[in-house]
Amino acid sequence: MWLFALPALLINICIILVPAVLTFTAAFFMWDGVGKPAWAGLANFQNMAADPVFWSALTNNFIWTAIFLTVPVCIALVMAAALLMAPNARIVVQSIIFLPRIIAVAVTGRIFQGMIFSPATGIVAWLNERGFSISDPLADPDRSLYAVAAVDIWHWWGFLAVVFLSAMRQISVDQIEAARLDGAGFLALFRYVLIPGIRPTLILMLILTVIWSFQVFEFIFIVTRGGPAYGSEVLATFAYRHAFFEGDVGQAAAAACVMSLFGLCATAVYLWLQITDDAQST
Amino acid sequence: MTMTRRQLVAAIPAAALAANLPRGARAEERKVVTFWFGQANSDGQAALRNDLVEAFNASQDKYLLQMEVKGAAVNNLLKVALVAGNGPDIVQTAGPAYLTAIANAGQVLPLDDFAEKYKWKERFLAPLLNTSVYGGKLYALPRDYESMHLFYNKELFKQNGWKQPTNRQEMEEIADAALAKGIIPFGAGNADWKGVNEWLMTVFLNNVAGPDNVRKALSGELPWTAPPFVEAVELSKAWFNKGYFGKNYFSLTIEQSFLQVVNGKAAMALNGTWSFGTKSYGMSKPDTVMDVMPTPSLGSAFTGSLVHLACGATLSIAKTSQNAEGAAAVFEFMLTRKFYETMNRDWPGKWALPVKDLPPDMLQGIGYPLFEKTIANLHEAFSKGQYGFTTWTFWPGATNSHLIEGIEQVWLNKITPDAYLTRMQTLFSQEAKEGKVPPLPPRTA
Repeated sequence: MWLFALPALLINICIILVPAVLTFTAAFFMWDGVGKPAWAGLANFQNMAADPVFWSALTNNFIWTAIFLTVPVCIALVMAAALLMAPNARIVVQSIIFLPRIIAVAVTGRIFQGMIFSPATGIVAWLNERGFSISDPLADPDRSLYAVAAVDIWHWWGFLAVVFLSAMRQISVDQIEAARLDGAGFLALFRYVLIPGIRPTLILMLILTVIWSFQVFEFIFIVTRGGPAYGSEVLATFAYRHAFFEGDVGQAAAAACVMSLFGLCATAVYLWLQITDDAQST
Repeated sequence: MTMTRRQLVAAIPAAALAANLPRGARAEERKVVTFWFGQANSDGQAALRNDLVEAFNASQDKYLLQMEVKGAAVNNLLKVALVAGNGPDIVQTAGPAYLTAIANAGQVLPLDDFAEKYKWKERFLAPLLNTSVYGGKLYALPRDYESMHLFYNKELFKQNGWKQPTNRQEMEEIADAALAKGIIPFGAGNADWKGVNEWLMTVFLNNVAGPDNVRKALSGELPWTAPPFVEAVELSKAWFNKGYFGKNYFSLTIEQSFLQVVNGKAAMALNGTWSFGTKSYGMSKPDTVMDVMPTPSLGSAFTGSLVHLACGATLSIAKTSQNAEGAAAVFEFMLTRKFYETMNRDWPGKWALPVKDLPPDMLQGIGYPLFEKTIANLHEAFSKGQYGFTTWTFWPGATNSHLIEGIEQVWLNKITPDAYLTRMQTLFSQEAKEGKVPPLPPRTA
């Protein structure tokens, strides 16, 4: 069995474990990225803890996680259930809602930045010309995180809906028919048949959402670069800024360790749930 | 001898390749010199290809220059490549602030032997060459000189009876008059480049606190929390909150905001001399709409106007280069009269080499009077030692990052100017201790 797993194991060791260990090690050194690293002990973690920007970035990661555990998941679940009930519309609607997922992140970011939110060239400008007083949410430190989240939700929820629909289609048709014969409406069917029927997929997507939410980078970097005034800064942009603009790779590695910690916690929860499920089913 | 069809087909690519080789040599006889360039628009890429790569390769038969345009991430790519020993022969950084870490780490070669051979130390303007001297050794050549300037719409000024401002009061009078007429005083936007914050802060710090105080702070003789800098930051906040930079500073790109000035929707712009080389900014040559002047004093530290010493890029040779001689030959080619003229004609402001024996009056006749005038003024001011200091040339990395990011917090009332400057002082002291502050030029040229 070990021989069978060896190729995958070797690749994982080389491209995941080794860089991970090096990043973890770098968190304990002062290093500008080109010179000789110097041992720093816990100084990078102490400096990070003393930096208010780190705490606001961490808070933003939690807000982002909360948003993505609810808004796109709810939209996707409702859409998936609706599509399950309306098989004729499935192909067309699935293609449309999946489309944002295949558009490059950079393109999506620029579309929202320049063609929607921009007060010079976007829909916001068009509305302002017609008497609506709307400001660019990306320019407001208290709203920029939510504005970028809206962009990412637009890009993400269709994919989730397709995943949930695939899972729902595995539910026995007999079970759904039986529920209907018993008089279950859409909400009752949704609550008592569909959601329990896709529970493993739902939990997996929720866990992955937590992991991805602590790694979020592209949309924020492209659309706001963490600003204005750190309003949309998250741990990944915090780490990137330290590594590549401030020449402080050790501090960036420390931030990366915190990001990984949350990912590890989410993975541990997933494994625990799997073990619990296995125990219950045997 | 007859050739089969197969032999003929096989021979075509080889013949085509041979025909494309530069004159007088086959590729294998030439030693390759590699060069990574950062951002370049289509005009810039054409200028690089024609005026540098092809012109250099045609000028001699020992070396073959190969250039790759890497885009905005070039600084990050370079650092990683240099550490891995796979960097290009010619290492171009975005200025002395970026060079410091690379030079301190010994990733680039000292150029003193080449400098002696080609008399570079005698030919470059000392204030700019000295920004690349570490521990008495020269590690780079400055590729250009830049400065912040006040660009303004002269038609709009004429229509409204506004005169070139000479001090803060006159600047504010024009700005208030513009606001009253629904004109944005200063076209400005950082949606595509947060570095715009530091362009503005370079003007505020130098033109309010004065270049002498900035020099003292960069030398560690005066803290950044001193009253002249507090006044500078408070003035920047006051101007931002009065709407002098418009309502959409965080939403507009540099191009959009500059076009506001050209189109008469804004009166002025605090922008850099690189603006001349960006066609999409809307300036034309000769220009009937726009004019430019050094930025006037905004405080009581000095009177008159000020230019700001900046080196937008440095050129070094990688420690691991297998062809240092070839890289030095490229540098020497850049110092030729022909390259200076063609590159400044085709891509104005990007490659204005600060060299004594290539005086800016050589640019007269390229058909761009505003650019010619500006470069001549810069050359004179830098030669006489009359200049302020740009943040992207003289501020160390973490301090500069805070200067850029933190000022948004000040403008948006998230932190006070005192808190902003206290943090700047803390970071600067730490970086000064670690030897990360780029070297200052001597007080006089």
